Amino acid sequence: MRHYTYPFTAIVGQEKMKTALVLNLVDPTIGGVLIRGEKGTAKSTAVRGLALLLPEMAAVAGCRFACDPAAGDCLCPDCAARVAAGEALETERRRVRVVDLPVGSTEDRVLGTLDLEWAIKKGERRFEPGILAEANRSILYVDEVNLLDDHIVDVLLDAAAMGVNTVERESVSFSHPARFVLVGTMNPEEGELRPQLLDRFGLCVEVRGIMDLEARVELVRRRAAFEADPAGFCAAREAEERRLGERIVAARERVPSVEVCDDVLRNVAEIAIGMNVDGHRADLVMVRAARALAALEGREAATREDVKRAAEMALPHRMRKKPFQKIGLDADRVDAILGAAS
Amino acid sequence: MTVFSSGSPSPANPAGPAGPAASKASARRLVYPFTALVGQERMRTALVLNAVCPAIGGVLVRGQKGTAKSTAVRGLAALLPEIEVVGGCAFGCDPDGVLCDACRARADAGERLPRARRVTRVVDMPLGATEDRVAGTLDLEHAVRLGRRVLQPGLLALAHRAILYVDEVNLLHDHIVDLVLDAAATGINVVEREGVSAAHPAAFILVGTMNPEEGELRPQLLDRFGLCVEVAAPTDVDTRMEVVRLRDAFERDPVAFARHWEPEQERLRAAIVQARRILPLVRMPEDLQRKGCELCLEANVAGHRADVTLRRAARALAALADRQEVRLEDVLLAAELVLASRARPAPPPPPEQDEPEPDEEHEHEEQQEQDESEEEQPQEEHPEDERPREEQRGQGAEPEEREAEERDEPQENEGEEQAPPRAARETVFDVGEPFRVRDVPLARDRVPRTGPGKRTRSRTPLKAGRYVRSRRDPKPSDLALDATLRAAAPHQRARAGTHPGLALAVETGDLMRKVREKRVGSCIVLAVDASGSMGAARRMVEAKGAVLSLLLDAYQKRDTVAFVAFRGQEAELLLPPTGSVELAYRHLEELPTGGRTPLSDGLSMAYQVLDARLRKDPATFPVLVLVSDGRANVASFGGKPLAEAMEVADAVREDGRIRAVVVDVEKPGLVSFGLAGELAARMGARCYKVEELRADTLVRVLREEILPE
Repeated sequence: MRHYTYPFTAIVGQEKMKTALVLNLVDPTIGGVLIRGEKGTAKSTAVRGLALLLPEMAAVAGCRFACDPAAGDCLCPDCAARVAAGEALETERRRVRVVDLPVGSTEDRVLGTLDLEWAIKKGERRFEPGILAEANRSILYVDEVNLLDDHIVDVLLDAAAMGVNTVERESVSFSHPARFVLVGTMNPEEGELRPQLLDRFGLCVEVRGIMDLEARVELVRRRAAFEADPAGFCAAREAEERRLGERIVAARERVPSVEVCDDVLRNVAEIAIGMNVDGHRADLVMVRAARALAALEGREAATREDVKRAAEMALPHRMRKKPFQKIGLDADRVDAILGAAS
Repeated sequence: MTVFSSGSPSPANPAGPAGPAASKASARRLVYPFTALVGQERMRTALVLNAVCPAIGGVLVRGQKGTAKSTAVRGLAALLPEIEVVGGCAFGCDPDGVLCDACRARADAGERLPRARRVTRVVDMPLGATEDRVAGTLDLEHAVRLGRRVLQPGLLALAHRAILYVDEVNLLHDHIVDLVLDAAATGINVVEREGVSAAHPAAFILVGTMNPEEGELRPQLLDRFGLCVEVAAPTDVDTRMEVVRLRDAFERDPVAFARHWEPEQERLRAAIVQARRILPLVRMPEDLQRKGCELCLEANVAGHRADVTLRRAARALAALADRQEVRLEDVLLAAELVLASRARPAPPPPPEQDEPEPDEEHEHEEQQEQDESEEEQPQEEHPEDERPREEQRGQGAEPEEREAEERDEPQENEGEEQAPPRAARETVFDVGEPFRVRDVPLARDRVPRTGPGKRTRSRTPLKAGRYVRSRRDPKPSDLALDATLRAAAPHQRARAGTHPGLALAVETGDLMRKVREKRVGSCIVLAVDASGSMGAARRMVEAKGAVLSLLLDAYQKRDTVAFVAFRGQEAELLLPPTGSVELAYRHLEELPTGGRTPLSDGLSMAYQVLDARLRKDPATFPVLVLVSDGRANVASFGGKPLAEAMEVADAVREDGRIRAVVVDVEKPGLVSFGLAGELAARMGARCYKVEELRADTLVRVLREEILPE
């Protein structure tokens, strides 16, 4: 199906959401984004547009799990067997994808299962990869993640936590790498997410409708232009899309060398303590996000300002809250903590 | 990975490529002409606009039964010109548009796709439709005979380039609704289930009808319908006579009737064709675009879908009038159609203009007055008002000390309302009362209920809920075909030759059944008296505390909660059944108190909400919690206030399905009426005094005595 995707860079406003998504492309270990917000605020549009920004990646040619040829220790069993047999793995370029996990998915399709046709024709058990396999090294997108069945959520969490999907069902036993950036969208009006799943998302951003008239008019105008001539619209945006793509690639390369000095680390710890968050995941995510922010802006070191911006995305869903307290972050408090620290 | 079966979309429809809906139409051949409909201009306009520009996103028709909703939809389909499809394609692909995988493969292989013509179908979505029928499923025949997995397309496939008609969409199961929404939003149906992984185009005009009396639609779903119209039967005699006359003429001689209307039909058909042709050329002047966005902002819509849809509708209106420029009238009409279902009450600070509803005005006044009073008025004027804030975490409620001065009757309160700083006292008490629950110990010893009361219904009807995994079961009533085939597959070599003619030999030991998961629990409807008398003596504070503890429990149990408040002239459904207990909490927190007590309306609305819920999902465990002192002074059904309430209570008891609890908030005082107790008796409910019911015990009462396990 030929289908044009609305370009990411053409989205009006929603800067925080866009930043959060881009940061995950820069450093996938940030752990994904949960986008919360009312209906019709370009949540899905942004995620779908993300795929087009991504540079191609190197993968083992023909591998069902898009194994990274450079990742010697976490190859899938197929590739590992080939390496063990002394075979040299060929490499191909692949697009990073946005893999959908539809709300009505069943467990066999999510995890993967016995390959029926293979079994009938060859009488052999072979693993048929599921959505988690497709999502390896890509983006796993769950629209309306709060409507997902608890059971599917559990298996998803398991894989997300381990980076590995282990299947023991229907007489198949298999395990393969499943490292993905988890992106979920939800409308809180339809019910909250379980805290467990909430914590699994690296960042969390809130989107709201734009209340500025001019911006709204511009938004409708762009949308209309896209619908009238999708090909032309996308072509006109191509330069800007490519620029952002190149920035992301450059930032990826820079990330490992971005310095996070002790002062900045101290800021992170102070915020985590001052904001009373559970566990250490928040600290880690803040550091990674701050580093990615610095890398994205071409700097060599993360600053206190980066930490502040990272905190705004890393903390809202991790604040220990009383029941019914709204999910969110008091940015002034973060400021105060940082202010007191200086 | 999976290929689509070509040819007939489903072996169950031997009617051929046209499918069941079309075959039904051709059996009757003549549908009532669209142009012969009397009245219902809005609905007709909305439908025609979608025919001109399907991107508008469908129509939701709200109204009573028998208002020509279905006739109009079928009439519209019959009116539309034939569409061009790829011959033999299971999905009816547009040869010049987006292709399904199979057609695309053919095109890529250099084949010239054959063209065929087809009428526009109306595909009906029955309320009992199962997930596999809607989204598509593993094709049994292919699997067993050929050993190949192929998608058997479902209703969403049939609906591609057609009208998907969902009668009573508000009663459709939530998980089915989610599937339809997903496809409607993207124009693509993605199937990842039962061993099949496939995607196919599913761009349809979604037309839903609903009778609001049977329950509202989830806001998320509401927003996905491009337009929304209300229909009502015409009330003037001449129009009604005309309706009957025409209908009668049609039924007596449909052929002649159709012939008579054909010129009219042809005119509209031509107008639609012309409108489609010029639609891409229609310009929308800058100032009108701005106007459109302004209207959306004023209506305080959520998100931006309204803005985009409004533009589409306005342009379609212009095209329909054979104009290439949008005019203000187009924008205004489009706004009505687009914003009807999307307008939300304005956020507190900018007060809403020209909103005639007294309740709303009241709230705004209250809000303003509250702000004023917080700034200007010295604290000693409202000693009791400040109390709750300080007490929020502390000891809960012990209002005895202030009781004497506070005990009052509704009348007194109303008198005060009219005093110059209107309602100041009452409103500060209500709105400015951020009563938060003290840490409620959620005592939940799960003692099975043994007390009185019958519960005979089975809680999980067969084949309801989502298919999430499978279990081995030699006698499955709900066969998991994919899992069964997988279980059988590895043995095929050994069984070769035992079942000649079949690719696959399945034996009893392979059979698997579906394990379904269902997100239903209890549906708790809270009917809370919010009249003036509740503002007195902190009754509301206690009532809120009790209700809140209930919400906390519902939160953990993932129950659904609805919230009905009654005050002033009528009851209001503040919150339709929702999984978002947070929303219920917010409503509770903000619930203002004041005015008279329309008890019967409140009770009856709560009953209706539960009734609608049960209709939609009979497995729901319905609970009605009435928080009231049993007093009533507004009649809503032409009777006496209290007698009416008692009658509704009788109806609840006679219904027999609903468990009810009454929380009596009447203060023990000089005169005790005990009305709540009587009401509870009539309802067959237990009655608890609010004093003896500290917040946590209400939960225990519900859990141990009312709710299932």
